[in-house]
Amino acid sequence: MRISKLRADLLALLFLLPFVVIYVLFTIWPMIKGVEMTFYKWTLIKKMSYVGWDNYNRMLHDREVWEAIWHSTFFVILTTPTMIVLAIVLALIANRKSRLQKLYRTVFFIPSVLSVAVASFLGLFIFQPYMGFVNTFLHWIHLLPESSEIFWLTETGLSWVAVAVITLWWTVGFNFILYLSAMQEIPDEINEAARLDGANNWNIFWNITFPHLSPITKTITMLQIISSFKVFMQIYIITGGGPLDKTRPIIQLIYQTGFRKNDLGYAATMSYVVFVILLVLSAVQYWINNRKEA
Amino acid sequence: MRRKFGLILVTLMSLALVLGACGASNTGSKTSDGAENTTSAPGSDSGSGKKVTLSFWTLFSGGDGDNMQAMIDEFNKTHPDIQVKNTKLEWGEYYTKLITAVGNGNGPDVGISHTSRLPDLINQGVVSELDDVAQAAGVDWSSYNSNLLNATVVDGKHYAAPIDTHPFIMYYNKKLLKDAGLLGDDGKPVMEQSADGFVAFLEMLKQKLPSKVTPFALSNTNDDPYRLWWALYSQLGGNDVISDDLKKAALDADKGAKAADYIQKLYSNGYIKKNDPDFYKNFQSGTAAIMMTGVWATGTWEATKDLEFGAMPIPKIFDQAATWGDSHTIILPVAKKEDPDKAKAAMIFADWLASNGQTWAKAGHIPSKPSVLEKQEFKDLPYRSDYASVADTVKFNKPSTKNWQIRDNALFKYLNEVWTNKMSPADAMTKMQDAIQKVLDE
Repeated sequence: MRISKLRADLLALLFLLPFVVIYVLFTIWPMIKGVEMTFYKWTLIKKMSYVGWDNYNRMLHDREVWEAIWHSTFFVILTTPTMIVLAIVLALIANRKSRLQKLYRTVFFIPSVLSVAVASFLGLFIFQPYMGFVNTFLHWIHLLPESSEIFWLTETGLSWVAVAVITLWWTVGFNFILYLSAMQEIPDEINEAARLDGANNWNIFWNITFPHLSPITKTITMLQIISSFKVFMQIYIITGGGPLDKTRPIIQLIYQTGFRKNDLGYAATMSYVVFVILLVLSAVQYWINNRKEA
Repeated sequence: MRRKFGLILVTLMSLALVLGACGASNTGSKTSDGAENTTSAPGSDSGSGKKVTLSFWTLFSGGDGDNMQAMIDEFNKTHPDIQVKNTKLEWGEYYTKLITAVGNGNGPDVGISHTSRLPDLINQGVVSELDDVAQAAGVDWSSYNSNLLNATVVDGKHYAAPIDTHPFIMYYNKKLLKDAGLLGDDGKPVMEQSADGFVAFLEMLKQKLPSKVTPFALSNTNDDPYRLWWALYSQLGGNDVISDDLKKAALDADKGAKAADYIQKLYSNGYIKKNDPDFYKNFQSGTAAIMMTGVWATGTWEATKDLEFGAMPIPKIFDQAATWGDSHTIILPVAKKEDPDKAKAAMIFADWLASNGQTWAKAGHIPSKPSVLEKQEFKDLPYRSDYASVADTVKFNKPSTKNWQIRDNALFKYLNEVWTNKMSPADAMTKMQDAIQKVLDE
């Protein structure tokens, strides 16, 4: 009995081995190597010299780093609540019994299959002045005088709006599907009973649907915070971090430091600080969730 | 996909380092074996009889890419001993790939570098010195344009053979200029070459042409307005933005502000379209009277149907003729194991490219050897001769390793704010001075 269990374990390990080897080689080992890099001056080519805690010290006093971290945080604040509201609204629309149900589901989900570059370039075309869709539309409904233009991509405030809108449009599909499946798990009997008791749509949503969505909302919030904090490509393509680096997120700064300035040691240091921030965020979230359920 | 991006970048890099270290030792020995087989002809000082194969990394696409391939094919045909293999890399990633590849011993035999990027590559140990090999290959440095060549000499040593210069010049739409009555009988614009003269010229264009026409097509951010600023700053006598010892920010704030102020007014007076999403397209579709960019656009305009255009050096707006420019140069990346035969062959190839610049000029570039300008094939190309003289007035960067960083992190950023009227030219100069110093200190 005992021996056969051991054999089964060994057999399982054997099957796991290919994955474990690759995982260690391509994920664990580079992570360890990355920690080492933070203590060196390290160019694109080679390890130069040991600098101790200098990279960390420099980071503490580097305004650019903290501004970039704030920009990533601001993006989280901007997109997380809006994402959740939008995903719920879309899921409610697609969950209604309607002949267009299938169409809704497809249309809401389709942007998610695009790659980030495609989504971002669409965003560029939509928001650019003179011939972009948004400005042309505003001219057409006479909300914007013919002779003036809104420069969505070059004003700090507006470019945040543009980036957030594109991100929401592009990524809402996945969260929408999660909410939709959660809604479909709510038993119909509860809703019927509520209707018999005279509840209106709003009562049903607020007292039945929404509470049932609470576990998935927690998951989505956590995933959304983490992925929003790591925003890079959309902003890089749409605004390039400008104007005056006022929309530059931390990942872009890491990329620029490592690959444009050939300063990999410092870039690795920033990466690990971001890693720690995300780790703490996830831990706090996990703790809050568990406490409530207990 | 986005989730692990930051981590992946770093992990990939460290992995590349780890694997690269292993890879280098293996492939390094292989190639050196191979080289021995092909080049071990005893006493072959002319290199004849034995084939040398050179790997060449380029960053050209589009018309440039096709012209370079045509030149390589021609070279391979006329030089049976030397075969060049072209690897086209994406321009945005070119330098990163070159530096990492050379770092772990897998670099190409021949490569391309911009003159402005050369000091950085030298500093990182990517580029080898050329004087000995040039002598062996019989290269006559005096056959090159001295202004272009001097920009590639660092500490008295040659590191690269320039094949062209691609300065910032002006294009004009002949049809629109004619409509505005500003085209002379010689087919050139009627304009007084002075600060007021150029503005008066633009004002005329603005008044005489329909309001849909942009008098002056120029982007509102980054490269091209920066190049115009650099040109005007140099015309005023400004001498780069760093000191001669390359250690201190030395932006001449008065001259810089004067140049920036002049350009700012071109934007605010409506001569340049605000936030033009695509100023190339604007000019190409015949809705802009003049435009300024690098000479590489010539090939594009020629291929455009119904675009009657002319090209000329940018006007002498201030005291002395000067413009922004850079050069493509041929470099010999540092090899793990030096191979004199390969180096010599590479040098012959580099010099041949420069000597046969008439093909390269098809894309619009100005050849680096004055003798090419005299060739009938070059003279047969229209437009190029109209601006070939600019090669002597290009104001290059000083040989700092930080040129690109200064441009990207200190100059673009604040100049962009000036163009949108959010910062005064004088304030921008102060901020730029600090930012340049910060880059230099890092």
